[in-house]
Amino acid sequence: MSQKNTKNAAGGGKGAPKGKKGAAGGKKTEDEREETLQAVVLADSFETRFNPFTLETPRCLLPLANTPLIEYTLEFLAMSGVADIYIYCGAHTEEVERYIQVSKWHPSAPASPFNSLEIVKTTARSVGDALRDLDARDLITGDFLLVHGDLVSNLPIDAALAAHRARRTADKNSIMTMILRAGGLGSHRTKSKGITPVFVIDPTKNRCLHYEEMHSLQANKYVNIDPELLTTHTEMEIRTDLIDCGIDICTPDVLALWAESFDYEVPRRHFLHGVLKDYELNGKTIHTEIVDEHYAARVFNLQSYEAVSKDVLGRWTYPLVPDSNLVAGQTYKFERGGLYKENGVILARTCKAGKRTVLGKDTSIGDGSMVSNSIIGRRCHIGKNVTIQNAYIWDDVVVGDGSTIDRAIVANEAVIGKRCKIQPGSLLSYGVRIADNKEVREGSRITQAKRGEPPVAKSTDTSIVGDGGEGYQFSEEEDSDDEGVAFHSTLVYSTSHLNISNESISTLNSNFSIASPTQNRSRLSSFAGSVSDDGDPNSSNESFHHDAVNGLIDALKEGDDFDSAKLEFMGLRLSNNASDHQVRRAIAVAFAKRIAQLVEGEKLEATKAAAKAFGAPGADKFLKEVAIGTKNLEDDQVDFITCLQKDLVHRGNGAIILAAISKELYQMDILEEEAFFRWWEESEALGEAEDKEMKRVREKTAVLIQWFRDNEGDDSSGGSEEDEDEDESD
Amino acid sequence: MPSLQTGYAPNLGVFLKSLKTAPLESSIENLISLLKRRQIRNSRPCAIATAHLLLRVVAKFRWTDIGNLLQRIQEVGQRLVEAQPREMVVGNIVRRVLGMIRDEAKEDRTEDASDSTSTSQLGSPGRERSDSGDLRTEGGVSSFSPLRFATTDASNLSEASGDDIFQGRSPLTSRPPLLTSHTSYAVLNGVPVQQSMFNLLSATPTPSSTPPHSSPSHGKSKITATSLAQRIATSTRDLKAEVISGIEEIIDELDQVDDQIAAYAQEHIHSNEVVLTHSSSLSVQKFLLKAAEKRKFTVIIAESYPNDHEATHAAVIGKVSSNLESDEMSTETFLKPLSAAGITVILMTDATIFAIMSRVNKVILATHAVIASGGLIAAAGARIIAKAAKVHKTPVIVVSGVYKLSPEYPFEFESLIEYGDPGNIIGYGEGALVDHLEVDNPVYDYVPPDLVDLYITNLGAHAPSYLYRIVADHYKPEDINFHKPELQF
Repeated sequence: MSQKNTKNAAGGGKGAPKGKKGAAGGKKTEDEREETLQAVVLADSFETRFNPFTLETPRCLLPLANTPLIEYTLEFLAMSGVADIYIYCGAHTEEVERYIQVSKWHPSAPASPFNSLEIVKTTARSVGDALRDLDARDLITGDFLLVHGDLVSNLPIDAALAAHRARRTADKNSIMTMILRAGGLGSHRTKSKGITPVFVIDPTKNRCLHYEEMHSLQANKYVNIDPELLTTHTEMEIRTDLIDCGIDICTPDVLALWAESFDYEVPRRHFLHGVLKDYELNGKTIHTEIVDEHYAARVFNLQSYEAVSKDVLGRWTYPLVPDSNLVAGQTYKFERGGLYKENGVILARTCKAGKRTVLGKDTSIGDGSMVSNSIIGRRCHIGKNVTIQNAYIWDDVVVGDGSTIDRAIVANEAVIGKRCKIQPGSLLSYGVRIADNKEVREGSRITQAKRGEPPVAKSTDTSIVGDGGEGYQFSEEEDSDDEGVAFHSTLVYSTSHLNISNESISTLNSNFSIASPTQNRSRLSSFAGSVSDDGDPNSSNESFHHDAVNGLIDALKEGDDFDSAKLEFMGLRLSNNASDHQVRRAIAVAFAKRIAQLVEGEKLEATKAAAKAFGAPGADKFLKEVAIGTKNLEDDQVDFITCLQKDLVHRGNGAIILAAISKELYQMDILEEEAFFRWWEESEALGEAEDKEMKRVREKTAVLIQWFRDNEGDDSSGGSEEDEDEDESD
Repeated sequence: MPSLQTGYAPNLGVFLKSLKTAPLESSIENLISLLKRRQIRNSRPCAIATAHLLLRVVAKFRWTDIGNLLQRIQEVGQRLVEAQPREMVVGNIVRRVLGMIRDEAKEDRTEDASDSTSTSQLGSPGRERSDSGDLRTEGGVSSFSPLRFATTDASNLSEASGDDIFQGRSPLTSRPPLLTSHTSYAVLNGVPVQQSMFNLLSATPTPSSTPPHSSPSHGKSKITATSLAQRIATSTRDLKAEVISGIEEIIDELDQVDDQIAAYAQEHIHSNEVVLTHSSSLSVQKFLLKAAEKRKFTVIIAESYPNDHEATHAAVIGKVSSNLESDEMSTETFLKPLSAAGITVILMTDATIFAIMSRVNKVILATHAVIASGGLIAAAGARIIAKAAKVHKTPVIVVSGVYKLSPEYPFEFESLIEYGDPGNIIGYGEGALVDHLEVDNPVYDYVPPDLVDLYITNLGAHAPSYLYRIVADHYKPEDINFHKPELQF
């Protein structure tokens, strides 16, 4: 019955939904009311996994099988009968806007199936910020679909939607339904590599009970499940075989939750994990809809770009295949053997354009060339005797005679000279020119993009592109806080550059200061190695940590007297039998988090933020008594610093904040010089074995340590000249 | 893609509802996207959607002259055909509407011509064709095509092209002899009547083929400017009504076609026969059910895995899935299952077709589209059945509505075969298979004409070699390539 108004309204242009809603109210309850379906598309991923391409183009406009990614997403939404769409863009908003403006999706175009389509430019730096912004705008009135701008799916969503509705009518607290594609056991090209999402599901109710992400670098291979869940749920499935396609059916409550938890950044690792963890607190449930038919996947990194491209060519995404000509002006035809050819393709008589290949309009391929399992865009010119396999070549590319391209991505207007060799995993960005006879090494990322402020074109690196070439090797900025970079930024998935062998894993286990940089929040046990005396952490301690951190942050935020917070904290500690280390860790995390919030949210400088946080009434006493203990042992102090360091690893500006905190704590006489020295020396002593992230975070504190050392000599003259500018380094 | 009725996903029903309110251009685009996304698929839903859309196009069209209307419909039709060239019925429906408009226009002009210049009205050596069947068929479409090189009086050159006044239909055999006199024959209700001014006014034409209005008589006077304008005004309005009712008749035909075909069932299925069929076609199902009213026989159904097996199972058990229902858009989808109709039903896999063929008396196939050559496009597996039947000399009967008959004669049949989702064959979860195999899932098969023995359409039974004739009856030669401007002459 709810189908009735979607299409009518879709044709009728804009402005209809509001009035309809009012009229539909009447005696029906809110839940049964007919509503138009809304969708939120997160066009910006707030990640850098597609660099260097995304330096110049937004991710959602990157071509997949010669069709921009967002077309697939919007096609999916149109297929589902969505009426209102909000597209959230960060970087390159104008380009997305321009694209949508002239596409068939814009509501003013007669072909648009949508009532309204709004592009929201956001300054958000994470998905969480974008959703909090969405909540503040109050645009969403009913259930909505939350998808990413890189979704490729042919899934009919009606069944999941109906199930969601039914659950929501029965229980207001079931706020979200995630659609997951069963990916089967064993390896699968479209599954996320490196990082495995773990869903714990109650199959009787399709309820998701717990979520974690695991990756191959992490020390322990355990999932921590609250024992409470084991007692309340008779059946439980722990699944790692699911392809998370990022389609969430949400109620507006979801946005409210995002708004409440201002530190959540990503939908799964933070939001989902956090909400499930807080079930006792908020009572919200999240359900799953596991489908084992149809296609649904996200193009979330270069490996999945390749996998989804292959799926499109293999027609798994049918009817979203090239010969459906989804975008106006496309004229693809499917030929036997899997060759998709647009009009105007010129093939030399002796060339072989083989299986599973897409050739765009006006592309020409010279004599003796072989193309297989590849996608070639429009107006490309492929010379003679060229071999192209598993390559993704976008528009207007010129490939000189005798070159070989294997498993690479070549962006628009790139020129590859004669007799070049492009090795697997290479990424050639827009306008790059490779000179003749050049070999591009495996995994190179070559770009021409202007960087910096003001933008300056970086000089061409002829050792990479040869004489007469244009482009330079792109290097990731070090401060990128996308912890998945190690896994996500390469086209060819391999762990070899990550140095994982059995040996190194065992060092991870034995070496306490190397903890997984990504998962501190959820994985207490990664600290297990550092706890010498108080046994294995268990999940009640996990909940202690969680509650303690939340309690402290609340106290810090309100700026109240710390005494009550302290009482509460000690109560928690006793009831959970938490170890000293855990206490310290909780405190460290709470303060670090608060300071990071101050820095990011209120744009305070790190030093001021630290001063503000530690300046809370009673905080000083609290830290001295609880965090370090009245005995004031050096060990404890070192431990506390390490905890801070670990926590700051995954926060933005972690290094600066650590420096600021260290200074502040020193001034407050909570930590002593000796502790700092020992901590520093222990870290240094690790040398190469030290985790890169950990090292990065502590780098900025070097100034402070240096200053201690200098002062040590001249007879510690007191803390008067502390305002030396350690923080100028930001 | 399958969709539930209760959801938001658009489908044929939603589309038809939206037609009433949505602006025309967005309806056209909407249908194009639905076709591209396969949310409207299979012959009947496509045909219904196209006919309804064209009805809107005609109704909304601001009338200037007939040429513009034809052009408009060609343009819309071309876009629809390009959206999904493998749904050949879309093109068929467009062609039939075009042909019907041409006929109506001709009749209209002829009447005007006969008003003003009755004595010089030509008895051109026009060929008359009409449907050989006596069933209720579409109005006007199946009339005739005029010969343009008809002899004309010099005084009448301006009306040279409007020289046909044949309004009725006649058996195909009754071709009028070549006339040299200034009279012509109109055939009213099967009775040849000498055509004159007199008869035109006195005779009552068949309702389906003449405009409902009586054309104003202008006597023999010259056409004055005012009367001309007046006549254009009245005639265009009426012509429009005419065209609209013509399209409505096509829509009616689409509704009734299965029952019309089923009416022949008892002539073709005899007691105690063993009939083999394939997949779940509504036409075939109705055909068998009709035969089952009087006779007892055995039906063997090949399940046509992997694309249609679920629907086939449903047809056997009688559980009409909601998917089927919405696709077929028919009120009578609540069919009795075959097994409940007193037929012995045997379901088997496709692999056993050859083995069982020796016991089969008759093969009945459903189609997706029929080509002018007599070949057909049908659900994958049809060719293997036809081939096996050939080997065993078992007759193959194809059940198809005339609307599926396409005048196109494709250069290569491969291009007509759609490749679907390989996920029907192996699950996407089979990571290793997905990665290392190339899986093709053709949805259709091409069955060449020599493997088919008989076609049963709503017009009756025909040999494959006769289909070209029905094509010629239904489509104007000038419309055959309407969607390829470069091929038009």
